[in-house]
Amino acid sequence: MTADAERTSAPAGAGGWLEQRTRGRALAAALLHVRIPAEARTLYFGGSALFLFGIQVATGTLLALYYKPTPAAAYDSVLYVMSDVSFGWLIRSVHHWAANLMILFVVLHLLRVFFQAAYKYPRELTWVFGIGLFGITMVFGFTGYLLPWDQRAYWATVVGTEIAGFVPVIGEQLLVLLRGGIDVTEATLSRFFGLHVLVLPLALAGLLAVHLTLVHQLGLANPKRPDPRGREPEGRTTPFFPNYILDELIAWYVLLALLVVLASLFPAGLDDKANALETPVGTKPEWYFLAVYEFLKLVPRLVGIMVPIVGLGLLAALPFLDRKPEVLARRRKMAVGVATLVLGGAVALTVRGFLP
Amino acid sequence: MVPGRAQVRRRRLLAAAAIPAGMLLLVLASGARAEDSTLAQVPFATPSPLPSLIPGPPPPTPLPHPPEGQTNQCFECHRVVNHRQETIATAWQESIHGKGGVTCADCHGGDPTSDRMGIAMDRTKGFIGSPSRAQTVGICGSCHADPERMRKYNLPTDQYAKYWTSVHGQRLAAATDTQVAICIDCHGSHDIKKASDPTAAVYPPNVPKLCASCHADARKMEPYGIPTDQYEVYSKSVHGVALLENADVRAPSCASCHGSHAAKPPRDTEVVEVCGKCHTATQALFMQSRHAELSTAAPKCWTCHGTHDVAQPSQKLFFHEVRPDHQCNTCHDPVDKSLRIELDQFKNESERRCDTCHHPDSDIYAQVEAIASSLAGAQGAFDSADARIHEAAGVGMIVEDADVTLSEAKTSLIQSQAAVHTTKLTIISATAAEAKAKAENAGTIAQARLDESVFRREAMVVVVALIVLNVVALSLVRRRVERRSRHHGGDAEATVEP
Repeated sequence: MTADAERTSAPAGAGGWLEQRTRGRALAAALLHVRIPAEARTLYFGGSALFLFGIQVATGTLLALYYKPTPAAAYDSVLYVMSDVSFGWLIRSVHHWAANLMILFVVLHLLRVFFQAAYKYPRELTWVFGIGLFGITMVFGFTGYLLPWDQRAYWATVVGTEIAGFVPVIGEQLLVLLRGGIDVTEATLSRFFGLHVLVLPLALAGLLAVHLTLVHQLGLANPKRPDPRGREPEGRTTPFFPNYILDELIAWYVLLALLVVLASLFPAGLDDKANALETPVGTKPEWYFLAVYEFLKLVPRLVGIMVPIVGLGLLAALPFLDRKPEVLARRRKMAVGVATLVLGGAVALTVRGFLP
Repeated sequence: MVPGRAQVRRRRLLAAAAIPAGMLLLVLASGARAEDSTLAQVPFATPSPLPSLIPGPPPPTPLPHPPEGQTNQCFECHRVVNHRQETIATAWQESIHGKGGVTCADCHGGDPTSDRMGIAMDRTKGFIGSPSRAQTVGICGSCHADPERMRKYNLPTDQYAKYWTSVHGQRLAAATDTQVAICIDCHGSHDIKKASDPTAAVYPPNVPKLCASCHADARKMEPYGIPTDQYEVYSKSVHGVALLENADVRAPSCASCHGSHAAKPPRDTEVVEVCGKCHTATQALFMQSRHAELSTAAPKCWTCHGTHDVAQPSQKLFFHEVRPDHQCNTCHDPVDKSLRIELDQFKNESERRCDTCHHPDSDIYAQVEAIASSLAGAQGAFDSADARIHEAAGVGMIVEDADVTLSEAKTSLIQSQAAVHTTKLTIISATAAEAKAKAENAGTIAQARLDESVFRREAMVVVVALIVLNVVALSLVRRRVERRSRHHGGDAEATVEP
């Protein structure tokens, strides 16, 4: 079709005006008008994590308008947001809960992909980038936790960075690198703030772009049968747009309602201002690091720190270790059994961490 | 009105009876009068009447210190004699004396350079063996009262002199009562530790138990006829709880009020100074009061707060729950109408009330009522604000500003409660009003947070309702899309052929 013909077939009005200048229709068609296996069950975990990331970007940007990343001013600026800024409490509380839910949904998404064997051919790289996204999300949580500069934040960071210091060979250097010195100080706050609002969002957006492009290119996995090598998958399909998108949108709305309820009933708290000379009783990291924290208490330090690191490495390499095409869980007894054990152990350790 | 004959006779009889009674009281109190004329008014808190102080002996000449660098043969031999001797030798070696070069011979005499018993423990060469209890005080004092010897340790040298002024020292001096506490009973003999060592018996939190080891022993105290429940009472007091349970070393132990080396119960004339050592600001307020101006029947700290059983002060200190049955002669002499308050009646905590002295019909009683009322108002406002702040914090609201205001209110409230010691209504009501205003301000802030919490919840319901409406609308659209797709030839689900 010639450019003239395109111009004449474009709709009239503003839409037409925009189409003539962007030619976005074809792009939208390529992105949206794809088909997905009718048996695909995403449970909307990945989409929900994406939605929550969007919420974090929006609320985080608003919070950054008021936040002051210095030990002298950080606490008071957060207090100001919570007490004096119109709907500041809502923005911060939504940011707080969305952060927790984002970690939860990334983990649920990972588990869904694992149990449906969606990491197998041809989606190995999608999985690897997904593990990268999981790691960045955890670091997001860790760096963001310090920013209010209250007692809980300060001492959880002291404990968290101490765990990093246990890494063999490079532990000491890693600790100094994270803290910007021997102790958690102004340097640590600056670093964490820089990482949280600049480095991590860019890294996550980059990895996310690759991850979503791969999802788009390879389509959703069929949990009932593996993708055949060298040819298109077969079986019943359903339109991605508008059918799946509408389902996803409903899930996002439900999530939004959950965020509003959580933020309204349990607004983000603020402990006393950080005090390096007063260690509070029962210091422990956030729930998503509790399993590692408890594990460290139970086993020798070297084992405690190496097991999560090696485990994460093995998780990233999973598609290259488990190369059998089988996708049904009942025929992957070994992988499912080991995963269930690890998951059960992590849950038990987390529960143990919550107990007084 | 002219009194009748019978009435006049009754008064004469009363006066006649009062004179011998007064004489008897004077005789009983005469021993105490040697030091303090008001001593008899507070028998429950004053020491037994004592005669004038008997001077203690001068500190003896210290035993010769063995030459530096010589082997301490006493230690070398005694540590291998038997288990008991080994324990003693080890205790000395680890003690402050053992580490500071004070040897066995410094207290026991003898020749520590010889390993032969006959020479080392030769009494003709000054060996004294185990010194008697009376001797021990002198041996300790021979060094510890010597400023030249103590200079390098930066230790005081007045303990010896003080000891002889103490009840313990006086009994030792006057009655050669060797059962009284001497240096080693508190500090140990061979295992002497620094007073700052937390394992030392004289470390402040350990002092009450140390004193109780004798003073709570009914058998040991029987000859002196003094009570043995002080430790039990003290350990439940606000001071005892702070020191013994909360390990707050700022809290007073027995020695803080009675003294240590000069141990003696504080007298009525001293108690304000003794309490004022810690409660400086309160003492200053008390000195402004009418109570401090009184020369007789003057209430002091212990009149309202007790001695060993000091409790957290509260509103209940103002009035009895049931009004006491005041008679004129409860407080006034029937003859000359002068004040005749027996302070002994404050021995029981339940009697330490303003209306024990101040009659309900008196002007002062009305003033006490006004003081109590203004403090109760401030306390009520404080409690109400505190409850609202807790409620607001409980629903997740940030209440830091209310907390700060309440802290200011608490400071004012404490000031107003302390101002009671001035007994001046204007001062007390002014500070109480200030505390009340601040507390009410904190309560208003907390109430605003509670109102905001309610608004948030109401707004949440509206927002969630709107979201539900949207979800319902989207579900309908989704269903329509599905239906239309099926209607138009199964577009919703297509089969991809291999």
